Amino acid sequence: MAAGGGPDVFLVSVSGEIESGQFPGLDELYCKFCFVYGQDWVPTAGLEEGISQIACRSDAAAAALVWNLPLDITFKSTNPWGWPQIVLSVYGPDVFGHDVVRGYGAVHVPIEPGRHIRTLPMFVPESTSRLQKFTSWFTGRRPEFTDPRVVAQGEGREGGTIFKLHFSPNFCL
Amino acid sequence: MKSRKISFTKYLMCYHVFSITGLPPVPSASRTGFAEFSVRERMREKLKAARVSIQNDFPSAEEAYKFFTFDFDSEAERKKTGIKKRNELNHEEEEAEEEDAETHEEGQEEDETVRTKMPENMQPRFLEDEGLYTGERPFVSPSNLNILENRILRQERWFGDDGKILALPNPIKQSLTRPPIFSLEEGIEPELETLYRKAIKVTAANQYLVGSGDFQGPFQLDIDISGLIFTHHPCFSREHVLAAKLAQLYDQYLARKQKNLTTLLTDKLHALRNAVQCSIEGGDAAAPKPIAQQSIPEYKMEIRQTRRLRDAEQEKDRTLLKAIIKVWKEMKSLRDFQKFTNTPMKLYLRKEEVDQRLDEKAYEAEIQDEINELLEEYREEYEKKMEEYKAELQEWKSWKRAQAEHTDEIYESDLGEEPVKPVPPKMVNSLEIEQQVREKVDSFRRKPGEPVLIPELVLSGSITPSELCPRAEVLRREDVKKRSSFIKVLFNSKEVSRTVTRPISSDFRVHFGQIFNLQIFNWPESLKLQIYETTGISSTTLLAELFLPVPETTVLTGSAPIEEIEFSSNQRVMLDHEGVGSGVSFSFEADGSNKMTLMTSGKVSNSVSWAVGEKGVPLIPPVAQQNTGIASALKSIDAIASIGTSGLTDMKKLAKWAAETKLDPNDPNNAALMQLITVATSGEARVPDFFRLEQLQQEFNFVTDEELDRSKRFRLLQLRNAEVAEFRNYKEVPLHEREISEKIFQDYEKRLRERDVVDSKHYLDARRAVVANYLQKVRESVINRFLVAKHHFLLSDLVNEEEIPSLGILGLGIFKLAEPKRPLKPRRKERKKVTAQNLSDGDIKLLVNIIRAYDIPVRKAVSKLQQPSKHSRSFNEMFTASPSAQSPGENIDWVLNQVLVRPFVEVSFQRTVCRTTTAEGPNPNWNEELELPFRAPNGDYSSHSLQSVKDEVFINLFDEVLYDVGEDDHERGSGIHTRVERHWLGCVKIPFTTIYFQARIDGTFKVDIPPVLLGYSKEKNLGNDRGYDSVRNLSEGSYITLFITIEPQLIPGESVREKFDTQEDEKLLQAAEKYEAECTSKFPSRQCLTTVIDLSGKSVFITRYIKPLNPPQELLDAHPNSSQITAELVARYVALIPFLPDSVSFAGICDLWSTSDQFLHLLAGDEEEHAVLLCNYFLGMGKKAWLIIGNAIPEGATAYVLTLEQNQYAIWNPSTGCFYGQFDTFCPLKNVYCLISCDNIWFNIQEYDSPVRINFDTSKAKLWKSFFSRSSPYPGLSSIQPEELIYQPSDKAAVVELQGRIEKILKEKIMEWRPRHLTRWNRYCTSTLRHFLPLLEQNRGKDVEDDHQAELQKQLGDYRVSGFPIHMPFSEVGPLIEAVHSTGVHTIDIPSVEFALAVYVHAYPQNVLSVWVYVASLVRNR
Repeated sequence: MAAGGGPDVFLVSVSGEIESGQFPGLDELYCKFCFVYGQDWVPTAGLEEGISQIACRSDAAAAALVWNLPLDITFKSTNPWGWPQIVLSVYGPDVFGHDVVRGYGAVHVPIEPGRHIRTLPMFVPESTSRLQKFTSWFTGRRPEFTDPRVVAQGEGREGGTIFKLHFSPNFCL
Repeated sequence: MKSRKISFTKYLMCYHVFSITGLPPVPSASRTGFAEFSVRERMREKLKAARVSIQNDFPSAEEAYKFFTFDFDSEAERKKTGIKKRNELNHEEEEAEEEDAETHEEGQEEDETVRTKMPENMQPRFLEDEGLYTGERPFVSPSNLNILENRILRQERWFGDDGKILALPNPIKQSLTRPPIFSLEEGIEPELETLYRKAIKVTAANQYLVGSGDFQGPFQLDIDISGLIFTHHPCFSREHVLAAKLAQLYDQYLARKQKNLTTLLTDKLHALRNAVQCSIEGGDAAAPKPIAQQSIPEYKMEIRQTRRLRDAEQEKDRTLLKAIIKVWKEMKSLRDFQKFTNTPMKLYLRKEEVDQRLDEKAYEAEIQDEINELLEEYREEYEKKMEEYKAELQEWKSWKRAQAEHTDEIYESDLGEEPVKPVPPKMVNSLEIEQQVREKVDSFRRKPGEPVLIPELVLSGSITPSELCPRAEVLRREDVKKRSSFIKVLFNSKEVSRTVTRPISSDFRVHFGQIFNLQIFNWPESLKLQIYETTGISSTTLLAELFLPVPETTVLTGSAPIEEIEFSSNQRVMLDHEGVGSGVSFSFEADGSNKMTLMTSGKVSNSVSWAVGEKGVPLIPPVAQQNTGIASALKSIDAIASIGTSGLTDMKKLAKWAAETKLDPNDPNNAALMQLITVATSGEARVPDFFRLEQLQQEFNFVTDEELDRSKRFRLLQLRNAEVAEFRNYKEVPLHEREISEKIFQDYEKRLRERDVVDSKHYLDARRAVVANYLQKVRESVINRFLVAKHHFLLSDLVNEEEIPSLGILGLGIFKLAEPKRPLKPRRKERKKVTAQNLSDGDIKLLVNIIRAYDIPVRKAVSKLQQPSKHSRSFNEMFTASPSAQSPGENIDWVLNQVLVRPFVEVSFQRTVCRTTTAEGPNPNWNEELELPFRAPNGDYSSHSLQSVKDEVFINLFDEVLYDVGEDDHERGSGIHTRVERHWLGCVKIPFTTIYFQARIDGTFKVDIPPVLLGYSKEKNLGNDRGYDSVRNLSEGSYITLFITIEPQLIPGESVREKFDTQEDEKLLQAAEKYEAECTSKFPSRQCLTTVIDLSGKSVFITRYIKPLNPPQELLDAHPNSSQITAELVARYVALIPFLPDSVSFAGICDLWSTSDQFLHLLAGDEEEHAVLLCNYFLGMGKKAWLIIGNAIPEGATAYVLTLEQNQYAIWNPSTGCFYGQFDTFCPLKNVYCLISCDNIWFNIQEYDSPVRINFDTSKAKLWKSFFSRSSPYPGLSSIQPEELIYQPSDKAAVVELQGRIEKILKEKIMEWRPRHLTRWNRYCTSTLRHFLPLLEQNRGKDVEDDHQAELQKQLGDYRVSGFPIHMPFSEVGPLIEAVHSTGVHTIDIPSVEFALAVYVHAYPQNVLSVWVYVASLVRNR
């Protein structure tokens, strides 16, 4: 809590890193992150968005892709509603060298102070039909979210819109 | 001892309960009420008396010791002592109170032993007797107790010589008394050893959350489903139906026989008669006892009642028997008729002979008895009536007498009611009664001597084998064989088990014989059976559901009786064989009369019981669970619903039970229950008559609702969540209540308040205020309607997915690969589209590319060149014709003319202004790109908000005029001193929404140039070297070529996908959908319109909007000879109705079409409304007119009007009132998609859609695809337009007032815009200008400018005047101000400048107002 001249706010400071990911069968991936937060939240310091280097599979840590991408951001807010979420999206080349999305995932910033390790399941939307699956594979334009932030929002999922998701394995934060 | 205590307690208990039930509730603490107190007092006195009496008989110490050390455990011995002692005592009580006495004595005995343990002069006190709860002590054998007591009392030596307690040196025993535990594993302390226990399933906690926490483990409910019998089944043959009926009747018969009510009642009757007889006889013998005397009428009453009952029963017996016989006969005749037997039923009637004589005697006696009784009854009645009669007669007589005495008062008494002379009652004839009785008896009683018939139903008959049956019957039997049935058991509406599927036997019985053991944790809510029938292999139908009652806790497995529960189903089955079906009427008669309809029904025999556990413990969910539930429920009455009200509904019963079982009211275990009962019986607690779904909501409530409502912060959050316009984008709701100021809500509340209050301040015109208010309301309702729809997303909104490439695209792609590369021919790349949501301020820019302009008005050298313009034109024309013949002087003049205008363009958007460089000449070429930032309202960049941006892009054309301001000549020599002035020439307005929807606007636009530009002339500057100019000059005016777009490109929001209500015929809608689909599949870019949405949000077929309507008569009368001018006038009238794009007012959600009368009433609408009205007017004037749905610049998708005039098609722009020929290159309409008339829709299926290149002949089916054709003719849809438009003449006075107000406001505004300068108004000029304006209106702004110039010159003398009239339809004052501001008249800052401003408002019918504003700036020439 910050008491001062202005209106009362509370600060949430997040620091951490995107450690590694496990994407069996995939290599040379990079990841992007961004924060999604409610209307009453304002980032005061740090980076809201970021992109990592391309990581190659390491031989040491059981086929993990290690990014070690630091996160550091501070929010101020007046309302716990809309608690910030980290949205991750991982991209990498496919067989033909097209850059395609390999996974989306979102997680709330832990609400307790302290050190937390979060493992995110990652997923991508699937093509609506077999034929489209083939053409998208062929053209390298796989279905992707119009905005990665969709994964952190509830809107549009109340039954009207159903999309198949393909789950890729985990991701360490 | 114990038994004594209990009897005592009971005695008291009765009293307690009595006091509780009898008296008003007393708090439990002060339960020792007055009544009890008196009882106790009495008790104590008695005890005292007894004590006194045994005082002399006090046993010696020795005796007492013996008494205590010996075991006096056995009851018998104690009794003996009691008796012995009793003998020694003096008995004061009477024998009647023996029990009391015994209690006393025992009390005495106890008292005696107690006394030895009490200090001297102390009375023993029994807490229990005082009504206090003492609890129950654990059992200690009396001998042990006695030993200990004696030790304490007698043995003095507790302490040793050293003053310490006597004890062994080491009180701990040397040897272990408990067997040692040996560990199996070494090294582990046996106590710490872990043991393996089988995992226990943690059962779901108590369902109701309240209630005792201790869980007693699973319980078991045994459901035995033994079988199913159909009492009716669709496959029943007629015989079966009869058999079922027979069986049913027989069952009834058996049941009646078992009850044997008739005999019972007959016996009772006899007994009663005897009793009466006895009492009467006894009364004769001895002195009549009052009791007997009293009971005789009662007896008689009862006899009558019993007789009536018996008669009814006998009648029922008789009819039942008759019915049985009748059905059996029917069955027999049916069997004979159909020549086969389906059921094994046979009815035997056993005759039981009776002794005729005895029977007759009894019969006769019975009749006589009855007659006597009846007679007596009647007699009684007669007597009663007689008495009444006598009384009445007396009254009547007295009245008569009175009347006779006072004959003079006859009038008064006449007024009163004249009593009718009473009629004496009739005595009933005994013969009549006898006849009555005999008749009655004959009808339902067995005749004397008639044998008693006892029906017996046996199932011993033989069924005719199938071979001998007719075909239909065989079919039926086969069908029955195919059918089978099973039963599902549902516990708490969940299927827990089901029986095996068993075939239905030929007698329609299904035997299951299965027992299901349900292990349950909670008291069941419902037990349900579902009976299913399967036919053949696949089809399974649910026949019926039936609820089983949850058994009482006393019903245990083994002792539970098999019960039959009936069910019936409402299914309707019709069969094509002998089976009678269900729910279908059929008849037994040959002629089909006497129809009956039977429903499938039957009985399930089952038994439900609680299982008995291993140790004989019944596995029943504890009832205590419910009790505690009630107790805690009382503490918080809200949770009552959670345990179900079943426990509470029988509060009275509960109280009764408590009274009967004599609970100890002082036992803390019972406290809750006792309290409950107290409250219940007093009627304070009632079973709540509400039902609550979320019974625990209150427990979770954060604060009370009122507090929540009061919270400003919560309100703010709620409003924001509801997307109320003011709060939709409110960021950072303060953390504390105190930080939210009331101001935040003020605007909102004000808006809510003023929704219905018309505020005429902003509108100058009350009518418009009303309209604006109405529009606002429509808008709000529409928006609210679509707020939900806005949050619906489609897959494509969330996921970007490539379309499946079609073959054509693939082919093209391959073709493209083969194409030669042309690096020098750059191609326009598609820009990436950006969804609007993740944008912020400054991200969006508006790019305006101003390329060139044509035919800009040129300056006139006012004082020097005084040539009439007409002359100059002709001169120029001549000049063009012979360019070689021009003289050098003229050439110079021409050149001078050319430089006489230095135009530049200024683009203003959201009050940001950008300008191009100054070019020269009337046909300048700028080719400049201007960049303007865009700010969305409230920083909301959602497509919803962008659509409702009302801002317009103003593209103003100015002339930059340089004036030499050198004061004198010698200054002129040393430096240049010029003043730059700019003169507004014209403007183009493009709404932002158009750009947003169109993504880019590219084309040549007509510049809106005022009809008069003082100091400028629209000379046709013909360049001899530009051949095509002559073509362009066919249309008047200046043009500017623009390219406008938004960077980055925004994806326009899609219209709401919503199906609207409609009153259209379903077929028509389907046809419309099909038509649209066909059209769009062929020409996806062409819009096909069949249904539109009206103001109430319903879809309406579009042709209903088109209907000939009458234009205002005033307009028609203005130019009666020229239809051309009249048409133009009408178009102008329509164009004068203010323009209000729907997509702005309704936030792009949908396009609403209002009817013409609504449009005229609202005085606002967009292209469609204008077009519809214009089209209707033209039709009303007898022209051939159509509505064109097409695409135009700059509006985008729009509606125009097409008319056919003298074999020429004319295209009318309804929002400007201009018209264009079909081949006019400057026609803003670029694409034609469909044509709509009052009875058809034609879709353009020609190759091109530009009006220049298409054929408008709709009769050609190859070019136009019509909606209604010969195969599906026009059904004659009624129009939604009114029959006739009624125009209200405008209020002239109000118009004059409005004119004054506008002028005042505009003048104020101009002064406001020039804060640093003095604004002088030239009155002469103003008045002159004022005179011009009506003239302008009259001529519709044509061919007047020269007169103005001359006139002004005459009036003012040597002034440099620049100015122009602005013409606008009037809607609000805001746009007027904006228009004046955009001309930049106020920007002149020459010190000596003067201004002139005149306003003229011309009123057309229905308050359509045309506003002229004449603005001019004057600078005195020196």
